[in-house]
Amino acid sequence: MDGFTYINMFETKGIEYLVIIAFLILLIPFWVILNKRAQMAKQMKKTLGTLSASILRIPQGLYYSRNHTWTHLDTSGNARVGLDDLLVHLTGEMNFRSLKNPGDRVGKGELLAEFEQQGKQLRIYSPLSGNVTEINRLLAEDPAVLNEDPYGKGWMFRIRPTDWKAETATLYFAGETADWFAKELNRFKDFLAGSMNYRSRGSSIVVLQDGGELTDHTLASLPGELWQDFQKEFLDPDRPVG
Amino acid sequence: MNNELAIGRFLLSELKPKGKILTPFNVITFPIMILGLALIAIRFYKGIGSVTNLSQEIPWGLWIGFDVVTGVAFAGGAYVITFMVYILNMKKYHSIVRVTVLNGFLAYVFYAGALLLDLGRPWNVINPIIGNSFGFNSVLFLVAWHFLLYMIAQLIEFSPAIAEWLGARRIRKILSGMTLAAVIFGITLSTLHQSGLGALYLMAKDKIHPLWYSQFIPVMFLVSSIFAGLSMVIFEGSISHRVFFSKISEKNHLAQRGILLGLSKICAGTMFAYFFLQLLVFLHGKHWALLNTPMGYWYLLEMVGFVLVPMFLFYRSYRRGQIGMIRVAAILTMLGVILNRLNVTVIGFRWDMAVRYVPSWMEVVVTLTVLFAEIWIFRWVINRMPVLSDPPAWATDQK
Amino acid sequence: MGIDRRGFLKVLCATGATLAIGRDAKAATKSTNDVEFRGVLYDATRCKGCRGCEYDCAEANGLPEPPPAREITGLRKTDETRNTVVNEYSTSKGTVFLKTQCMHCNEPACAAACLTRAMHKTRMGPVTWDGDKCMGCRYCMVSCPFDIPKFEYHSANPKIHKCTMCYERLKTGEIPACVYNCPNEALQYGTRRELLSEARKRISEKPDLYVDHIYGEHEAGGTGWLYLSPVPFNELGLSTTLQKDSYPSLTKGFLYSVPSVFVLVPALLLGIQQATKSNPSNAEKEDE
Repeated sequence: MDGFTYINMFETKGIEYLVIIAFLILLIPFWVILNKRAQMAKQMKKTLGTLSASILRIPQGLYYSRNHTWTHLDTSGNARVGLDDLLVHLTGEMNFRSLKNPGDRVGKGELLAEFEQQGKQLRIYSPLSGNVTEINRLLAEDPAVLNEDPYGKGWMFRIRPTDWKAETATLYFAGETADWFAKELNRFKDFLAGSMNYRSRGSSIVVLQDGGELTDHTLASLPGELWQDFQKEFLDPDRPVG
Repeated sequence: MNNELAIGRFLLSELKPKGKILTPFNVITFPIMILGLALIAIRFYKGIGSVTNLSQEIPWGLWIGFDVVTGVAFAGGAYVITFMVYILNMKKYHSIVRVTVLNGFLAYVFYAGALLLDLGRPWNVINPIIGNSFGFNSVLFLVAWHFLLYMIAQLIEFSPAIAEWLGARRIRKILSGMTLAAVIFGITLSTLHQSGLGALYLMAKDKIHPLWYSQFIPVMFLVSSIFAGLSMVIFEGSISHRVFFSKISEKNHLAQRGILLGLSKICAGTMFAYFFLQLLVFLHGKHWALLNTPMGYWYLLEMVGFVLVPMFLFYRSYRRGQIGMIRVAAILTMLGVILNRLNVTVIGFRWDMAVRYVPSWMEVVVTLTVLFAEIWIFRWVINRMPVLSDPPAWATDQK
Repeated sequence: MGIDRRGFLKVLCATGATLAIGRDAKAATKSTNDVEFRGVLYDATRCKGCRGCEYDCAEANGLPEPPPAREITGLRKTDETRNTVVNEYSTSKGTVFLKTQCMHCNEPACAAACLTRAMHKTRMGPVTWDGDKCMGCRYCMVSCPFDIPKFEYHSANPKIHKCTMCYERLKTGEIPACVYNCPNEALQYGTRRELLSEARKRISEKPDLYVDHIYGEHEAGGTGWLYLSPVPFNELGLSTTLQKDSYPSLTKGFLYSVPSVFVLVPALLLGIQQATKSNPSNAEKEDE
């Protein structure tokens, strides 16, 4: 500053503030569009048939058991029971066979139903105790509804629970289930790797180790022995905590 | 047409007071507020000098030094809490977001509004706003604009509660979507104007006592606004907890203790950093000799008695889980912040003058009027809108 | 992951652009006009204390007539009724008079403080006040190192009073009222450059008469009003501890950082928010 003529130290402040305003205004659509990309990536994964935790549905208000069944108490006092989205995505379409009749008593951890797919079987155990009041006829007629709408039309049983509060206290609530599904998927990948080595069967499925992608309906293309191992690892009650 | 009538009638009915009218608080504050309004009228009729002790050497006194500079520091709880909840995702503090944002919003409206009382020619206040005359080179320009923008951001953050009160479902959904943007904008603005309030005094280098003047005043003000705001949250929360006991939802009651402990931890940490900042600035200034003067003792009192001591209290009460001690520490901290702000703006400003500035009783009454008016509006909102109580069911479903 | 990286790069570019603009601003402050600052040189060795300048100033600005000399006791300051005062000082070299008024700094603190540009540094040099813009916030009074702006505290329509170097007269080619009538040529009006060389000439011609310092050459970044004195300036009530840099440069650091904060902090906050989004709420059980 020479001190003899006029100099404005803050000459460009006006333009700078305009640039800032422009930046902030542009930041909002910029951010929204970037996040849309992430959403689209999720959708793409789904359509390509890859199975990842982000595409699994976990409705609020339901209780989820470690045996991959869900239960929900409706206003009439009956609890509906069904299979969770993780399980049906792993298995693919299966045929339903109920092992209980309406009026039967069932205890928590007792065998409820059997699912079958090309000779391979899975046994489903009850997440709570009570009286079976109704069995979903739609499941027997249209097995596909199990995979399309496992929480809605694909319900399995209506049970009048005898000890709802105590038994559901140990179940997962929706908020924690997302994390648990992700962990179960990882555990499933490890299980596959372990079981493949154990059974020493060559397979043509695209299953990569360590964070690779699973295809949807992974178990559908796997042999019955793996289903038995899967049953023991993931669906049987009183299995060791994973 | 029916809709407007219904809303109009609803608003009118909401204006009626709920609860007892002749509470001790009302009886004390109402006459003071009436007196304050009278004084404000005199101030506009006969000039600022008729109600204040300001002079040509001391142009800014209690109204700026306390109402604006200190009041805004205490409103800093809003940006800290929203930062913790919406940016750092610390869900534990979610239950106090609304009341803190409400407090912050009202504080800015009233204290920055009190600034209008201090303006000599308030009709020209629109000049720097509508673009008639932007003084970009001025720190005060920046502070004023940030106040305006921040009030808008806080209003947006709080507006879902208003929408829930009015039952406007769609509007509430739109406003909820804007929360994150408003929070980020608000935190950015707060960073600048909390430090900006300090930067206002940078040019008064020869007028402020060297122990309080440094180039780092803006940084000091920013850091102290963090624990000032949180202490205000603790203090105000304790009072609200007792006064509005019935309004608070069960969930919020249980969360209270955990929240207080968490806040005291954060305060202790921030004050630790602040103390060392002050130490660094002091060492850099090399004002050792000044410590042995009356102002030096005053400085030590502020630093030790009102920064170190409450910091240790926060730390100890956090370790031992003593809720009562946390409240004591919060009050001490708030006194310390008031002391610090007044030291920079009023006590340390032209400390060398023979006749020192002391606020007139009229200035104090007007300040109290502003404060009480804010509390009245705060109470009105708490009694009607879902701030301490849970939002209506349709609102939680919307998420 | 790509989100954060892309966002980060965009922020870097925007920041770089902003900083580049800011840097250019510092260099590009060379003025483009050729109007030079005007100023006034006050020579304390020539002033006889007649206070005629006070009367001329009052008349030119419509202010009340100053009191006669016999009614004056002690030192006076300017206030809302007088833009300039001449005080009598008993110094080591006898009685010396000093005229006090606005210094019309090169980079005035008041003009930098004013948020409505009511206080304005004109290209010609004088610092003027515009009543149509002024809000009466008195920030100029806080910032001025010489404590010059004076406020009408007891008026419902308060104005700020200070010397304007008779800017209206300067625009028509006349000289300030106080300079015009000074009987002893203690006051001289000209460009700052001319006045500084004149002042140096006087000092070099009579080194025993003057203190070898032109007050206002560098104080507060340089002022339009310059002083020559036979005695040290602090004996005349002028502060000798003022800084050599202009006072607005003290706020420069803060104001320059504003754009960067506005760009970096939102980006940083968005980044942190994304990073903590999938974290389960932390420390929930910790403090119970």
